[in-house]
Amino acid sequence: MKTNLGARISNESFLSLFMLGVLVVLFGVACLFVPNFYRPQNMVNILTNNWFIVILGIGVTFLLITGNFDMSVGGNIAMTGVLSVWFCQAAGVSQNALANGLGLPYTAALVLALMCAMGIGAINAFFIARLKVPSIIITLGTMMLARGVAQIVTRGAQRNTSLPDAFGVLGNTAIPGTSVKVAVLVMIVLVVAAFVFEKLTVAGRRTYLIGANPEAARLSGIKVARHITLLYLASGLLAGITGILLASEFKAGVSGRAAGYEFDALVIALLGGVSIAGGFGSVLGMFVGAVILSVVTTAATGLLLSPDWQFTLKGLVTFIAILAQRFALDRRKA
Amino acid sequence: MNGEAWRAGIKKYYIYVVLALIVILFSVVKLGQVQMFGRGHFLSPDSLINLLRTAVPILTLSGAFTLLMISGYIDLSVGSAMSLAAVVFALMVLNGFSFLPALLATLLLGVGMGWLNGLLVMKLRITPVIATLVTLNLFKGIALLIVPHGLSAIKGSAEKLMPAWINDYARKAVLLGLPWAFYAAILVIAILAVVQRKTILGKYAAAIGGNRTAAELSGINAVRMGWLLYILVGFFAALAGLARASYMSLGDPLSGDGMELDNIIAVLLGGTAFSGGEGSVLKTIIGALIIMCVTTGLMTVIPAFWQVMAKGSVLLLAVVLNHLLVRARARA
Repeated sequence: MKTNLGARISNESFLSLFMLGVLVVLFGVACLFVPNFYRPQNMVNILTNNWFIVILGIGVTFLLITGNFDMSVGGNIAMTGVLSVWFCQAAGVSQNALANGLGLPYTAALVLALMCAMGIGAINAFFIARLKVPSIIITLGTMMLARGVAQIVTRGAQRNTSLPDAFGVLGNTAIPGTSVKVAVLVMIVLVVAAFVFEKLTVAGRRTYLIGANPEAARLSGIKVARHITLLYLASGLLAGITGILLASEFKAGVSGRAAGYEFDALVIALLGGVSIAGGFGSVLGMFVGAVILSVVTTAATGLLLSPDWQFTLKGLVTFIAILAQRFALDRRKA
Repeated sequence: MNGEAWRAGIKKYYIYVVLALIVILFSVVKLGQVQMFGRGHFLSPDSLINLLRTAVPILTLSGAFTLLMISGYIDLSVGSAMSLAAVVFALMVLNGFSFLPALLATLLLGVGMGWLNGLLVMKLRITPVIATLVTLNLFKGIALLIVPHGLSAIKGSAEKLMPAWINDYARKAVLLGLPWAFYAAILVIAILAVVQRKTILGKYAAAIGGNRTAAELSGINAVRMGWLLYILVGFFAALAGLARASYMSLGDPLSGDGMELDNIIAVLLGGTAFSGGEGSVLKTIIGALIIMCVTTGLMTVIPAFWQVMAKGSVLLLAVVLNHLLVRARARA
């Protein structure tokens, strides 16, 4: 039996490397055709612009590995953002109902908003882990539920007045000496934490077993329902953190914020080689997927394609990626 | 024994009771301000005609959607398929094509979209949710690209008028104040209900949804059946989109948004099991009417920004009802 380096790495690492190769090629092509693409500032932008999708992608990736979807993250961002603003706004200061909030202290408002975000995760978990309803149906329902709360609290518009000054600090502070925002730092910390969870903890490895064979996982003593519940709570919390950071950056709670982010999070996970068939995928792969998406969309903008191209482009890129990954894995087995 | 009979009775008739209760609720809620059956009342002829006319797309589509879900598959791209069909139909009519060629081209497009979904799911074996989520964005993207930059929809302008006959299909009254499109939808429902109950296609769909391996072992070509069902759904999504374009006299690339959710709610209310294997086209239609009553009825009672919340709640409620009825029976 021949044992070379190529045969010793796992299928996940193989796919991550494969997509990294794709990324390098795409980047090279973009540098040739798009003016100024090679500039360092542009590279920093490509790595950091998608921070909100990457944070969402962490939760979505682990859930996909267990064979479940989470389409509620976009709505959850809007809801948490709007609620954090509403809780913070001063009470009884204006005739305009949208300028009046609950007047809670800043920290209390954030904690409460994050708890609401986890509430959406709890509803998902109850239906999916306890009642065994397909995750796609439930999370599309909670997507509307969360978006609905955002619309009711803002009357279909937005809340952006009578906020304390502290509210805008979190989203607008840059790391000293750079143009990189705190949110990007949050993304890096969360990705590293997720990587450690995936590779080095028992719970992380159990996630793969649940995805590969839920029945075997249950029989070997893993509490599958509890594990999936915790993952949905975590995904809700990550969406909540993103929602608060975005609300702080714009100093406004907008009911239409983050429309379609759930699809983007799914796309980067798929680009990174995560498989819904279960038990397969990695956080690093997801991050590579995010950078690929970023390169493609930035290059498209650089080539002066109208924004209307983005849906078609994302759709095509995802299909090609899914088919290419399957082809690469089949070739590897053969 | 008696308890079993009761449960069977509830499962059979609950959806009609729900529809009746909702209609009664919306007819009494504003009685203080409007007269029973009078102008502005939920049950006035005008309001009923309006409700049924706006219900045409979902009535046209949800029968085929039910058959697909009975066989255990799902199509999340139906809303975008509708939008793309609406845009293409409006574009052809605006550019001087007459009704028949525009109709044929739109339906052909629908078959093509369904064929693509079938190819991805059945042949290339990409998970249905992922494949159709991606085609959702693909179809929507193409529809957005067709609409000229700076416009929100394909519509008539000062230089190029939209022919008035575009309304003939889905707005002009032909019988009892209702348009052709409504009667076409009724015909579609009747045919699909017969297909589901009396033909081999219906039996095979249920067999594949119940247990695909067993169905294949007993000689059913599951790939071809599923593909056919995706094509049917694409075909009727195109017809629904055409009706929407004809009703609004324009091709809006976002007009089908959320259609997949309305269809899922209708199917769940109708008692079709999420995992496939059993269900009923006729009950889905009652479910579709319930959604339309809730959507139009609520608009007269509460502000528009409650709509999304209301629909999300109806979906979760439908899941709970479905769980109680379908699952409880399966366990017994």
